[in-house]
Amino acid sequence: MISLRGVTLVYPNGVRALDRIDLEIEKGTFVFLVGHSGTGKSSVLRLLYREVKPTAGTVVVDGIRVDRLRKSRVPALRRHLGVVFQDFKLLNEKTVWENVAFALQVTGAHTRDVMRQVPRVLDLVGLSHKSRMYPNELSGGEQQRTAIARALVNNPKLLLCDEPSGNLDPTNTTEIMELLLRINLKGTTVVVATHNQAVVDRMRRRVVRLDDGRIVTDEERGYYFLGLGQTQVLSG
Amino acid sequence: MDWGKLKFFLGEVGRNFTRNAGMQATAIGTVTVTIILLGAFLYVRGLMMHLSTEVFNQIEISVYLSESATPVQTAALRTTIARDRRVRSVQFVPKKEGLKELRRRMGGQVDTSLLTQNPLPDKLRVRVRTPEDVSRVAAHIAKLPGVSTINYGQDVVARLMQLSSVLGKIGIAIIATFVVIASIIISNTIRLTVFARRREIGIMQLVGATNAYIRLPFICEGFLDGLCGALLALALLAIAKVELMPKLSAALPFVRLGAASIDVWQLALELLLVGGAVGALASWVSVGRYLRV
Repeated sequence: MISLRGVTLVYPNGVRALDRIDLEIEKGTFVFLVGHSGTGKSSVLRLLYREVKPTAGTVVVDGIRVDRLRKSRVPALRRHLGVVFQDFKLLNEKTVWENVAFALQVTGAHTRDVMRQVPRVLDLVGLSHKSRMYPNELSGGEQQRTAIARALVNNPKLLLCDEPSGNLDPTNTTEIMELLLRINLKGTTVVVATHNQAVVDRMRRRVVRLDDGRIVTDEERGYYFLGLGQTQVLSG
Repeated sequence: MDWGKLKFFLGEVGRNFTRNAGMQATAIGTVTVTIILLGAFLYVRGLMMHLSTEVFNQIEISVYLSESATPVQTAALRTTIARDRRVRSVQFVPKKEGLKELRRRMGGQVDTSLLTQNPLPDKLRVRVRTPEDVSRVAAHIAKLPGVSTINYGQDVVARLMQLSSVLGKIGIAIIATFVVIASIIISNTIRLTVFARRREIGIMQLVGATNAYIRLPFICEGFLDGLCGALLALALLAIAKVELMPKLSAALPFVRLGAASIDVWQLALELLLVGGAVGALASWVSVGRYLRV
């Protein structure tokens, strides 16, 4: 699904965000990207939805050479993947229903499809009963679920989440993670960048750890820190 | 036709359009001023063109023959002039005829019966095909034998042409200035709405809306600004025409203003298009700047 080879990313201001990264992610997997702030987690995601282009190396998403993608083809790429952020990025003057429908409407979808897809994803995230409410009438968890519904309404094969629980309390965080897991079980590849240790440790999924723009460890069924022993050392 | 799609789109445009009412009014106002100037200018230019064609069409060269010219000479002269390709017609006006004409024209204002003898020479009335040739043809004829003097309304024509050209230049300069000002104000207005909607634009880009799609509502907004301004201007121009034209005609009776066949509907359509185009282009530019990442 995803393949990064020798990817280096240097921002225009000279910051070297990623340094010769190699990363393969299979279809249908659930992967955590962990690391401190500023270690390049978000940069990896930004490369995948072509917000930035790598300075060097190749980026392949679902068979598409994203690093070589012409600008005019970027919208087509983004319709095939969903992105979720810490700050939800919802439109406050639109209802839940309208926020979700928006993603379809602005890509020129038929009303028929809007009427079919929006209820489906709202049901999936459990917000059917709140579809007429506005974002500021919802809890943080509900807002994030709205954002996830919007990301899923195009039926993407890949869901990218950048600190999805960053603004949420533990209860809501758990809910969101369970939702992401359910989405993953339906076959969608899910990549979550997070520094929420509890979530990572509880879910025991593949953990790719970044430090200073490099991948330092990559474990199947990993923990947030490299082994529990280290967790204790650091917290003690 | 997918009505849901259309409704969504129009809703987006409408929301934009009503969000910044103050700025929108400013933009519309500048377009109005611009279009009024442009409309008035085009209308006046139309009148001027009509006037000068009328004057041109009336132009004739009066070739006064010398007293000594014999009928044979006169006939020869007439053939020579008629042979010139630039000449449309040559008409011989004997002195008697000339005097009658003069009497008719004076219409009793001058008592021509006081004239004991006819002071007029015979003349040839020459009309040219294209008014621009008048002076050259006249100069050519003046050199021919048997010609005494030549008279044509050269001064009037030259002044009229000069006047309309100067007026035209000033008009174009003023209008160009206002088009620029209107464009700047519209593009600022659009930039404000773009700024107000930057979150929305970001989300649109994120979910895969094309730049063309993102642009479209803003272009429509600019177009609407321009169109509203132009409509307002047209209304004011129409009032002005209805109110002022009779007075102007009354003030200038010798100018047959009413005869000027200016197609006001076509002019109105052109003005609307100009207004809309200025608005759409200005917003195209300002959104484009924003979308270039």
